Amino acid sequence: MSPREEIVFLVDDDARVREAVGELLESLGWRAETFAAAADYVASAKPDLPACLILDVELPDINGLEFQAQLSRDIHPPIVFITGHGDIPSSVRAIKHGAVDFLTKPFSDADLMTAVQAAIAQDREQRSERAELDVLRQRYLDLTPREREVLPLVVSGLLNKQAAAELAISEVTLQIHRRNVMQKMATASLADLVRIAERLDIPITHSRRAGGAERERA
Amino acid sequence: MIAVPPQKRFEEAAAPSVGIEVHEKAVAALRDRELELSQLLDMVPSLVWRLMPDGEPTVFNKRMVDFLGLDVAAIDKPGMTRLAAMIEAVIHPDDATAFADALGRCIAAGEPFAMRHRLRRADGIYRWMSSRAEAMRDQDGGIVQWYGLCHDIDDLMQAEEALRRGRQQLEETIDAVPIRIWSAASTGGPVYFNKRYRDYLRSVVARPEDLDEPRIDRLLQELVHPEDAPGVMRALQNTSETGGGGVMRFRWRESDGVYRWAECRMEPRRDRGGAIVQWYGVSLDIDDEVQAQETLRDRERELSQLVDMVPSHVWRLTPDGEPTFFNKRMVDFLGPDVADTGKPGMTRLAAMIDAAVHPDDATAFGDALGRCLRTGDAFAMRYRLRRVDGIYRWMSSRAEPMRDASGRIVQWYGLCHDIDDQMHAEEALRERERELSVLVDMVPSHLWRVTPEGETAFLNKHMADFLGLDAADTIRVDEAMATLFHPDDTAEVNDVFGRCLATGEIFSMKYRMRRFDGVFRWMSGRAEPLRDDSGRIVQWFGLCHDIDDQVHAEEALRRASDRIAQATQAASLAELSASIAHEVNQPLAAVVANSHACHRWLSADPPNIERAKITAERITRDANAAADVVSRIRALFRHAPHARSPEDVNRLIGEVCRLMADEIAVKDIRIKTALDPDLPSVALDRVQVQQVFVNLIRNGIDAMDAVADGARALQIRSCRDGPDAVRVEIRDAGTGFKDPERVFEPFFTTKPHGMGMGLAICRSIVESHGGRLWTANNESLGATVAFTIPLAAREAS
Repeated sequence: MSPREEIVFLVDDDARVREAVGELLESLGWRAETFAAAADYVASAKPDLPACLILDVELPDINGLEFQAQLSRDIHPPIVFITGHGDIPSSVRAIKHGAVDFLTKPFSDADLMTAVQAAIAQDREQRSERAELDVLRQRYLDLTPREREVLPLVVSGLLNKQAAAELAISEVTLQIHRRNVMQKMATASLADLVRIAERLDIPITHSRRAGGAERERA
Repeated sequence: MIAVPPQKRFEEAAAPSVGIEVHEKAVAALRDRELELSQLLDMVPSLVWRLMPDGEPTVFNKRMVDFLGLDVAAIDKPGMTRLAAMIEAVIHPDDATAFADALGRCIAAGEPFAMRHRLRRADGIYRWMSSRAEAMRDQDGGIVQWYGLCHDIDDLMQAEEALRRGRQQLEETIDAVPIRIWSAASTGGPVYFNKRYRDYLRSVVARPEDLDEPRIDRLLQELVHPEDAPGVMRALQNTSETGGGGVMRFRWRESDGVYRWAECRMEPRRDRGGAIVQWYGVSLDIDDEVQAQETLRDRERELSQLVDMVPSHVWRLTPDGEPTFFNKRMVDFLGPDVADTGKPGMTRLAAMIDAAVHPDDATAFGDALGRCLRTGDAFAMRYRLRRVDGIYRWMSSRAEPMRDASGRIVQWYGLCHDIDDQMHAEEALRERERELSVLVDMVPSHLWRVTPEGETAFLNKHMADFLGLDAADTIRVDEAMATLFHPDDTAEVNDVFGRCLATGEIFSMKYRMRRFDGVFRWMSGRAEPLRDDSGRIVQWFGLCHDIDDQVHAEEALRRASDRIAQATQAASLAELSASIAHEVNQPLAAVVANSHACHRWLSADPPNIERAKITAERITRDANAAADVVSRIRALFRHAPHARSPEDVNRLIGEVCRLMADEIAVKDIRIKTALDPDLPSVALDRVQVQQVFVNLIRNGIDAMDAVADGARALQIRSCRDGPDAVRVEIRDAGTGFKDPERVFEPFFTTKPHGMGMGLAICRSIVESHGGRLWTANNESLGATVAFTIPLAAREAS
């Protein structure tokens, strides 16, 4: 059985546990990389593959839960915690902060496999989402400055007339910009565009109902 | 005897002259001459007589015949010569014999006769005569006639006699006068001393020969006190130079060697020309006087000093209040101006009061003194008197009148004592006392004082308020004392306090005291004795502090601390088990993971035998590691080393009871001990065995929680258990054990909050000392836990 294009990182201070769990992961068909301390893991070069991080709660240099908090500031593989004596508050905290599972030693191969598979699946998903977002970002970056001004007004739901007044341009000009934005962002409908804008965290600066209505009255 | 008229005798005597014419002429001339002579003889104012050489009287002149007034012939007596008859007739009988002898001797020897004697005058009166007779001799020297003369010296003799008597009287007087008298021609010459003086000198002068011709200077040197001698010599010299009289006082040495004061007065007698003829002096013993004066002077000086030195102001008033005397101290105090003050229009006293007495006191002072002066009552008053520097000082003044025999007031004598410091001290004392009293009443504690017999002598306000008493109402205080303490405490308080009163130990205990509303509150009482210099207890001073809230708080705290202790115990147990779990879990986790991996390798297609074998080996290795951990832990628990030392089990019990006194008191438990006083000491781990006692006593206490108040009794007994062990039993009156054997299982508990480890731990401690611990339900009520510990230390097997 050849290793899948997936990798499992294991951080545990106990050499026997690293050895045994590494062996078990490999017997389950994963490529396993083990570290004795959190710092070793951080320092290592990680291949660009769907991955999973198995983390012992009691680490020599840092508590596993705190290490989880540190990692959360950045992109990281989903975490599966293992512990010699798991307590409920620790496990709750770990899960709340995004851990995939919390396994108490000794654990069965089935539990480990389920957890690692779930983690890697989660990582795959995250990875494809990140790739999709990258494409959208690139498209956004390709817009002209004027088109980037038009986009939030349009997705806010302003009428063309209102948007044109906002930018002090003619309605016709605005319509041209709008068509270009739609094309460049590869969307067929306004609804699509709104969804993309949302994913790109483009703020909706104008509400058609509140701000716009008042302006019409003025 | 022949009585011959003298003329006739002369005629007869002239008969041998012969011649006629010439003779006639011669005779005539002779007759004239004889007549003349005869007239001469008769006119001589003396008695003249002539005797024959044999003493036969032949002629008497007329004056003699007239004087004697007798006829010589008529006195002739037969058998005796005319001379002898005459002598018998006219010479004073006292002189006759001497006269006859002397005359007879002269006649016989032919020597001139001279004698004084008394001669009988015609009128029978004897008069003193000075008689002289001489012999007239012829050419051959033969005595022809004796011629005699009798000169009347009676008046002279009388005068002489008077003079002599006068002189004798004077001398007697001089000698009798009780003073020493001396005289001298000059101050440098020999001296006359009267008898008294001489007697004295004889008794004091070392060399009596000095008195043969005594000289003033020498005697002075010898007799005058050395201190006075130079002055005396100077005065003497001065006196003699100036010639004036002088008085000197100096000390003489007396016969007994003591010097006595003498006064010597001397004056010169001068002749008409003013030259000094004689010095006269008297020396008077004035020692007693001088001594008396000295004494008087000393006394006066002393009194005067006393009056001035008395640390008080002394003054004197006339009966009408006029000040006449202030002692020096008072003058110094008031200042000379005030003491001598006087103002026109007011009496001196009024002026003084005005000047020296504090304005606020002046009126009262004047009134009081005036009243006393009128009535004669003693005066006494406190007032402020102005000192010379202007500062008023408090004085305590008293005055009393001196009365004469008739009761009339002669003087007022007063004393004025400076009590300013005392007044201030008293004031400060009063202030301090007031402060202390306020302090005593304000101290938020109960203060009390009892006599050495235990009688309540004082309660402070706080305590009186607490008891709802008036502190002055001693009867009710005593009544309140009787029911003061909680019935459960009364006996013990009385017991302990009684012992303290008897021994003087410090009293200190906690008890419940009844408040005025009947509520008992916990108090912490302390009392200590105050002793006098001899160490006798004078008073007991006590403090009792309301600790009721504190006791409740402590109880709450203790409960909390018990819970914490239990929690800590639980936590540390959890920690321990976690640590054990981790130690064992790691290898177990590895074993499990390896066995899964091994299974996977074997189940693979094709099976990976190599890797399966590797993992199988790792399984063996890790399982052994887990087993090691377990045995290490067991070893850890078995080999806990403890320090053991010989301990008195009874003392340990006492210590633990004291340690738990609060808990025992709060739970209202009576502890009864029955300890064997002859227990030998046991080698044990003090802390561990203490822990056993604490656990067992606490178990007993907890077991009696549900029991009625009065019946909560815990008995602790210690005794020997065979020759080489000690046994201790703790017996409660609680609910007893439902299953006495199960109680030793770990985590077995009948208590709602218990860990269930207590008895298990106790048993393991006792067993680690080589002893046994067991429990049994009592026949009547409750349970007994007992254990033994061997005397010799013995490791648990």
